[in-house]
Amino acid sequence: MAMAMNYKDKIIIIDDEEVILDSCTQILQGRNYDVSTAPDGMQGLKLVEEIKPDLVFIDLKMPGMPGLEVLKHIHDQDNTIVTIVITGYATVDSAVEAMKKGAYDFLPKPFTPEEFRLITRRGLERRKLVVEAITLRREKEMLRENFAAIVSHELKSPLGAIQQNLFALSGELAENLSESQNARFERMKIRIDDLIKLINAWLRVYSVDISKINESFTSIAIPALISKAIENVEPHAVRKDVHLVTGIEEQLPLIEGDELSLVEALGNIIGNAVKYSFAGSQVTIKSAEKDGIIEIAISDTGVGIPEEELPNVLSDFYRGNSATSDESSHGIGLTISRKIIEAHNGTIIVTSKPSIGTTFTIRIPVKKNDG
Amino acid sequence: MTEQKRLLIIDDDPDFVEGIKSILDGAGYNVEVAYNPKTGLQALQEKLYDLLLLDIMMGRGAEGIMIARKLRKDPKLREMPVLIITGIREQMAFLFPGEPVHPRFVAVDELVEKPVEPTLLLEKVSTLIETAEARKTKSG
Repeated sequence: MAMAMNYKDKIIIIDDEEVILDSCTQILQGRNYDVSTAPDGMQGLKLVEEIKPDLVFIDLKMPGMPGLEVLKHIHDQDNTIVTIVITGYATVDSAVEAMKKGAYDFLPKPFTPEEFRLITRRGLERRKLVVEAITLRREKEMLRENFAAIVSHELKSPLGAIQQNLFALSGELAENLSESQNARFERMKIRIDDLIKLINAWLRVYSVDISKINESFTSIAIPALISKAIENVEPHAVRKDVHLVTGIEEQLPLIEGDELSLVEALGNIIGNAVKYSFAGSQVTIKSAEKDGIIEIAISDTGVGIPEEELPNVLSDFYRGNSATSDESSHGIGLTISRKIIEAHNGTIIVTSKPSIGTTFTIRIPVKKNDG
Repeated sequence: MTEQKRLLIIDDDPDFVEGIKSILDGAGYNVEVAYNPKTGLQALQEKLYDLLLLDIMMGRGAEGIMIARKLRKDPKLREMPVLIITGIREQMAFLFPGEPVHPRFVAVDELVEKPVEPTLLLEKVSTLIETAEARKTKSG
């Protein structure tokens, strides 16, 4: 057991019979136990509070506070302490009652030294299990609560270090690399970049409570929003030779929202359209107002989505299987986008025809004029 | 190149530091490294640097922020430009990507995310140094 080297299991025996206290102490002597005794319930409880024992023996029949009450007080104080009751008259009833109140086991008087040693050992083993289970549960909770921080540090740091060295090395070796070696460097960088982005996407799902973003809403102009989102996707589009074309109605009213998350949502959808587009084709981003609703439509002429798959596209963790290349895609991005848009009282729908293209349509209400 | 600029990196990840240092070395900077906040602060007390590259998550938590706070209070170090390089931009401000974050821990600072592309890194470093120098000439 991975306990501290000098750790002694702490045992308390509460019994009004001095001869029991003495003999029990003697039986456990010479072992790695720290044994204390108390002649009644009150003193016993004081001792429990003081030394925080691993195991407590309680005589059920004592003058003053009854054993069952002592038991209850101990468990109220710390229910990880293992308790064993000593029953003077071996009636099953009192033992059962004690077990119901949380005692781990009972020891009928009279008992042999061997019986006492055995039940002590079992009680202490029980205690270790209880403590371990609690530690594990606590660790699991911490892992969940700090998931974002742990993931970011344990996964992102090494990837960041690798990528930084790839950046440095490909620059330093540039003159000595053949074209194909150079291309391999570039592919490695892209793969690692994809991983880092994926981790960031997971982090957002776990660490950001999207439903709370409406606490920091400001007025947002649609054209600025769209151009910022396009800016983020542009490098990818240029690499793929996909043209981004906008058609934005003039004088669009403002909406209320969180700009950063809307840029993210829009960027994800435009990025997705680029991903499933063929080289040389175009992705159009159109925006107009109709009846107090801003509509933003993102259309591609790419591979399209089969009808039966459409309902899944915006649900959790969908990943299309008809990507035009082996490009990595994380459907998680679309899920985040949907959540962000819904947090803006908006909706997003998708329509698609295989080999013709896909259109995502976002609808968000315009900002209400107070007064 | 006029006189060589002196940079200090405070970051506890030696592998990451090597990647970033060789880019800066290659661009002709004189780069020193401290692998923990304590030696970093010591170096800052002993020598003058033209720029500090500072990691945020070090040791038991966000110790980089403590360093930035100390710099801010130090009249001598307050004007030194700081480039914050961090892997935790999002947790720091709970922000989404797509927008630069300016924590303004010190008079002149910028923030980039790990890993940082060489061109972006060198651009930020030289701009920060130039801005700091321009200000010095103006006020002196």
